[in-house]
Amino acid sequence: MKLSGLPYLLKEGFKNIWNNRMMSLASVVVLMSCLIITGTAALISVNVQTLIAGIGDDNEITVYLRPDYSDVDSIALSGSLSAIPNVESCHFRSRTEVLQSYQETLGDNIYAAMQGDGNPFGNEYKIRLHDLSLYEETVRQINALSGVDKVSDRSDIAEKLTRLDYFVTVTGIWVVLVLGIVTLFIIANTIKMTMYARRFEISIMKSVGATNAFVRIPFMVEAMAIGLFSGLIASLALIALYEPIRQAASGIIGMIQNATLPLQNIWLPTLLALSGSGLLIGLLGGMLSVTRYLNKEGGAILGT
Amino acid sequence: MIHLENVSKVYPNGTQAVKNLTLDIADGEFVFIVGPSGAGKSTFLKLLIREEKADSGSIHVNGHNLMTMSRRRVPYLRRTMGIVFQDFRLIDKMTVYDNVAFAMRVTGHSEQTIQKRVPLVLRLVGLGDKSQRKPHELSGGEQQRVSLARAIINKPSLLIADEPTGNIDPERSIEIMRMLFAIHQKGTTVIVVTHEHELVRHFGGRVLSLKNGTVVSDTTLPIRYGAVKNASAQKEAPTS
Ligand SMILES: Nc1ncnc2c1ncn2[C@@H]1O[C@H](COP(=O)(O)OP(=O)(O)OP(=O)(O)O)[C@@H](O)[C@H]1O
Ligand SMILES: [Mg+2]
Repeated sequence: MKLSGLPYLLKEGFKNIWNNRMMSLASVVVLMSCLIITGTAALISVNVQTLIAGIGDDNEITVYLRPDYSDVDSIALSGSLSAIPNVESCHFRSRTEVLQSYQETLGDNIYAAMQGDGNPFGNEYKIRLHDLSLYEETVRQINALSGVDKVSDRSDIAEKLTRLDYFVTVTGIWVVLVLGIVTLFIIANTIKMTMYARRFEISIMKSVGATNAFVRIPFMVEAMAIGLFSGLIASLALIALYEPIRQAASGIIGMIQNATLPLQNIWLPTLLALSGSGLLIGLLGGMLSVTRYLNKEGGAILGT
Repeated sequence: MIHLENVSKVYPNGTQAVKNLTLDIADGEFVFIVGPSGAGKSTFLKLLIREEKADSGSIHVNGHNLMTMSRRRVPYLRRTMGIVFQDFRLIDKMTVYDNVAFAMRVTGHSEQTIQKRVPLVLRLVGLGDKSQRKPHELSGGEQQRVSLARAIINKPSLLIADEPTGNIDPERSIEIMRMLFAIHQKGTTVIVVTHEHELVRHFGGRVLSLKNGTVVSDTTLPIRYGAVKNASAQKEAPTS
C-alpha cells in the first residue's frame, strides 16, 4: 500500500494535504491490525488463566481411608493432613455421608442393608492443594500416613490447561514483542514520509531559527494521534467482537461460558491498554524518525 | 559583526570549496560577493548560517563562535539573521500573509505581535494590498519581495541573500536591490551574492571577489544612493 503510493507522494509532497491523510490512514489500518492481534492474544491468555483458576477451585482430591480404620483415628488424621505444606484445606466426610450420597444409586433395599456395620465405605477427606504441579510428591506424603487406602487422581483437564496457559503466555509475549516492533517501524516510517513530504517547510523553519523542539511538535502530534486513534479503533473492535466470540466458543466447550470473563470485566482494561500502547508506540516511533531526520537530512537550508 | 580567519572547508567528496579565507565585515556594511561559478560563494554563506561547519580556522558571527557552538544554539544564531533565496522558497498553499507570519509563528511570537507586524512589513515591500494572494498568483519580483518580507520580519541584524535576483527580470531586479539598500540604510548588515555586475556597478558598495574558495579582490565603491532613489522614483512613477 505504502510502496505503490510512494512515488506519487514524493511528487505531490506537502502541497497535498489529502495525500498525507491517506498515508496516515494506511498506517492506522496496519497499526490497528497489529493491535487487534496483540489484544486478541492477551484476551485469550487472560481467559485461559481464568479457566484454570476456575477448574483449580473444583479440583478437589479425595483421600480414601481404609474401611476398618476407626472413626476416632480418622478424625485425628486431619491434623497430619493439614501439616503437609502443599495441602491448602482438608474437609472430613464420614462413611455415613459417603453412603448417603449413593442412596439413590443403590436403591432403598440395598441402602437399608448397608446401614451401620454393613457400610462398605471408609471415611474420606476432600483436600485441596496449593500447587497442583506438586501433586505427585504430596500424594506420596499422604500415602505415608497410617489409615490411608488410596488417593484419587488429579483432573486431566487442569493439567492440560496448565500447559496451554504456559503456551499461550509464551506465545503471547512473542506476539506482543514482534508486533510491537513491527508497528513501531511502521509509524516511524510514516512520520519519516510525512517529514520528507514537508521537508521544504522544515527547511524554512530551520532557516528562520525554529528550534528542533518546535519543528518536532507537529510530527509528534501526528504520530501520537495515529497511535491513539489506532488503539481506540482496535479496542472498540475487540470489545464489539468479544461477546459473540465467547458465545460461539461456549457452544463448542460447555464449560467456557461460566469460567471465562464477561464483557464488563474486560472492556475498560482492553480500552486503556490498547489506546495506551497505541499512544506509546506513536510517541516512540515519532521520536525515532523525527530525531533522526532533524539530525541528518533536516540540516539543509540554502540548497545548491 | 562577522570575522573569519583562515577558514577552510572541504566537502566529504573531497572538493575544497573554501581555502584559507580571512575577512571581516563590520556592522552596517553592504557587501556584494562576486566570482565565477564554483568559487565558493554559496559555501561561504552556508558557513555563516552554520548550515556547514568549517574544517579549520575560526568564524564569529553576531557574537557567536561558530566553531565551538553546540547544535542546540544554532537556531538562536539564525534568529539574528534573515535569509533570501534565489528560488524564493515560499510555501505555495499559504497566503502571502501566512508565509511571512510563518517565520514569526515558528519562533514563538504571539499572534498579537504577528498581526501588528506582518501588515507593516508587507507595506514596506509594497505588497500591502496582496496579503491574501497565494504565491503562484504573484510575479517573480513580487514573490521575491514576500521572501524579503519574511527575511526581515524578525528584525535581523544581518541579511543574507544568495543570488536574490537570479530568477527575476532586470527591471524587477533593480526593485529588489533598492529594497535591500533601503533595509541596509536602516542599519542592517547586508550580504548579497550575485552574478550581475550591472547591478553592482549601478548601486556600488563593498565588493568581495572570490575565486577557488578565497578572496582575490576586496574593493569598496561609493554607494550611489541616487541610484537607489532613482529606482524607487521609477517604481512610483505612474506607468502609461
Ligand atoms: N554539498 C556539496 N558537496 C560536495 N561539493 C559541493 C557541495 N556544495 C558545493 N560543492 C562544490 O564546492 C565548490 C563551491 O561551490 P559553491 O556552491 O560554494 O559555489 P558558488 O560560488 O556558489 O557557485 P555558483 O555561482 O555556481 O552558485 C564547487 O566546486 C561545488 O561543486
Ligand atoms: Mg551558489
